[in-house]
Amino acid sequence: MFWDEKNEAISRDELQGLQLSRLQATLERAYSKIPFYKKKFDKAGIKPADIKNLSDLTSVPFTTKDDLRDNYPFGMFAEPLDDIVRVHASSGTTGQVTVVGYTATDIDTWAELVTRCIVLSGGTKKDIIQVAYGYGLFTGGLGLHYGGEKLGAMVIPMSGGNTKRQIQVMKDFGSTILCCTPSYALYMGEVAAEMGIDFKQLNLKAGIFGAEPWSESMRQEIETKLNLKAYDIYGLSEVIGPGVANECEVQQGLHVFEDHFIPEVIDPDSGEVLGPGEQGELVITTITKEATPVIRYRTKDVTSLNFEPCACGRTHARMQRVFGRSDDMLIIRGVNVFPSQIEEILMSVEGTEPHYQIIVDRQKALDEVEIQVEVAADIFSDEIKRLAQLSGLIEQEIREDLGIGAKVTLVEPKTIQRSEGKAKRLVDKRDLAG
Amino acid sequence: MIWNAEYESMKREDIRELQLRRLQWIVKWVNERVPAYKKKLDKAGVKPSDIKTLEDSTKLPFTTKDDLMEDYPFGFFALPMSKVVRIHSTSGTTGDPVVVGYSRGDINTWAEVTARVAAGGGVTEDDVIQVSFGYGLFTGGFGMHYGVERVGATVIPVSAGNTERQIMIMQNLKTTGLICTPSYALHMSEVAAKMGVDMRSMPLRIALFGAEPWSEGMRKEIEERLGVMATDNYGLSEIMGPGVAFECEQKNGLHISEDHFLPEVIDPETGEQLPMGETGELAFTTLTKEAFPMIRYRTKDLTTFIAEPCECGRTLIRMARVQGRTDDMLIIRGVNVFPSQIEHVLTEIEGVEPQYQIVLTREGTMDQIEVWVEVSQAVFPDAMRKLVEFERDIENRLYNVLGLHAKVKLVEPNSIERTAGKAKRVIDRRGN
Repeated sequence: MFWDEKNEAISRDELQGLQLSRLQATLERAYSKIPFYKKKFDKAGIKPADIKNLSDLTSVPFTTKDDLRDNYPFGMFAEPLDDIVRVHASSGTTGQVTVVGYTATDIDTWAELVTRCIVLSGGTKKDIIQVAYGYGLFTGGLGLHYGGEKLGAMVIPMSGGNTKRQIQVMKDFGSTILCCTPSYALYMGEVAAEMGIDFKQLNLKAGIFGAEPWSESMRQEIETKLNLKAYDIYGLSEVIGPGVANECEVQQGLHVFEDHFIPEVIDPDSGEVLGPGEQGELVITTITKEATPVIRYRTKDVTSLNFEPCACGRTHARMQRVFGRSDDMLIIRGVNVFPSQIEEILMSVEGTEPHYQIIVDRQKALDEVEIQVEVAADIFSDEIKRLAQLSGLIEQEIREDLGIGAKVTLVEPKTIQRSEGKAKRLVDKRDLAG
Repeated sequence: MIWNAEYESMKREDIRELQLRRLQWIVKWVNERVPAYKKKLDKAGVKPSDIKTLEDSTKLPFTTKDDLMEDYPFGFFALPMSKVVRIHSTSGTTGDPVVVGYSRGDINTWAEVTARVAAGGGVTEDDVIQVSFGYGLFTGGFGMHYGVERVGATVIPVSAGNTERQIMIMQNLKTTGLICTPSYALHMSEVAAKMGVDMRSMPLRIALFGAEPWSEGMRKEIEERLGVMATDNYGLSEIMGPGVAFECEQKNGLHISEDHFLPEVIDPETGEQLPMGETGELAFTTLTKEAFPMIRYRTKDLTTFIAEPCECGRTLIRMARVQGRTDDMLIIRGVNVFPSQIEHVLTEIEGVEPQYQIVLTREGTMDQIEVWVEVSQAVFPDAMRKLVEFERDIENRLYNVLGLHAKVKLVEPNSIERTAGKAKRVIDRRGN
């Protein structure tokens, strides 16, 4: 099933012609409308007109998350606020947030691309789509929502959380497609079992899972437990949100929608473009986005690209499942968290010592975070109540700033293991490989 | 600004003519498509052809929330699922929340009526609007989201919660309009003060509030603290969600979008329609809704119609602020809660006595709900830790049902005051 066969099964020649003209237009717009890009291009000594072939893209400088942060909030906008109809933002504390804007056309493009994702995952307008991604500034919920709506399917906007109710709704409304993070899907499987609900009795046929890395074995586990076919979806808010790439029924890589995005894989150290099949950092250039176009944006996600024709008939390149990150970002239940953000919060609280460890585990399918932090000796000898207050305060700050629930354990001075080199701040007990 | 002057400022006789045509259509529509309505109409001995004037609407039977629950989930849907593109639901119990559906046309109508709310509250396409209602099955977030989008303003879909971040966003993204519950707006102002942020010096200039009752006094306080013009709007999921009625800049009653909703004020005891100006229960018939039409739906909200024409130029009739409820429903931070839901959860837990009390307080400006529960001597845990665990467990169970954090306090047997008559389950210390 195609949603837009003309563009999804376009010949490679035609696609490349389309990409080139769109790329040239994007570079022109970015150069003339966004001072950041003008400065960057000038410094690199290139003009948009220098880009005569797709291969010339390699001469264009990269854009990083830091660039987006430095230009917070509206420095990367190519259109005046009057023409911006939506704003989304990544999670984070002040200075860490990145803001992305959408024109009415961008919202339409986004809906179109997510519709493709749903159709690639076997969805039709007859489906009942339960969107259990969080709605709000996070692009997950609203992204899937607009896609399902465009398709003409029935959308149940559950948002995240309240698991028993999710399962009740799934049962009562006969949901056929579930959209959430893969770890949340597994967790639902466990809660349903506790509730005595058998997925074989439900109508679910497909799951569209993303926003965090997952493995082939996790896919098998989800498919068995939830009795559905599990598809991987990829996207990031800096680029558009979900809808950048999705698996088709062949499930050998995710088709990147190349009529809207140009993907590259680079060596994260040298910045050199790598060949098909070689593993490296994914870089994306948007070629239709109006409000916040990004040029050679470094996603920090590690993958490889496959340009071989796919049995499904789509001509768009496929990216392998994301293997990991080229930085230390953690994805906890779909929320992006940097250890440095946690550190910043810990250091802002009086009485804590700069020694801590973040322990991430996957309990009953859900990511759990425990933060052990040393506190000053006088606090530790104090009454229990004070300790509880302090850990409660830190937990609250983390919840409010980062949007994740973490368990904070206060420990006595000098109990966290010291290392001679780089401190081991992170202990990740989750098994994401395999 | 009037969003759609053709309808909002239509001559009264034209509105009535339009209402009659649409009423005839909707009665025919439900009679043909909703077996539950056909049965109701037959029982009342009314045929669609009996509706010859608007006054004939009083011949139609009422619809109550109980009716909807009996036919949960889809019994009142007038379209097959393939034509339904959206589902919302009232904050419900594990048992029977009310599920409402929307066709593509309904979603379009909803955006139209919420665009009226937005424009009435002062939103223009130049505004940056922060939607701080929860998004999800609750209609609050989505309703206003689509309306503001229709007006062409910039939408920041923040959803509810994370107040410091809300304020940071408001500052950094130069938000000019805020949409949330009035109590949450007040809470924001307190958090902002703690952060050393003066909301009055922000670009914020308008606020559109709904989903809970509030007073003129609260309006003055919010307008002063936030430096905004604050307007009220009204809606309920069973009818559409937000967008049923809204204040204009006159801030003197809420205009009902009468071309889509036919309102009545009735005596809650007898069901008789009350004369203009008298206070009673508000009932609505949806005039254009395709997927989930409602005939004379009893809202249980008490209000009064204001007949005089409004200076804003709209001819749509106004209703006074909602003055109360005909039942015991509580509205906590925009979430509807019935004491019976809490009772139901408690009775499922072993070791809990059927004695409890719900205590409502206002911490700062946020409504807080505390549930005091007696536990039998046998299970009253000795260890503090166990006690806390037990409380947490009950809190989680309540959260699953109510979608709201209630603080649970376990108390010893016989410590909750007994009454000779009806048990006093709710202690409201909020003091409006």
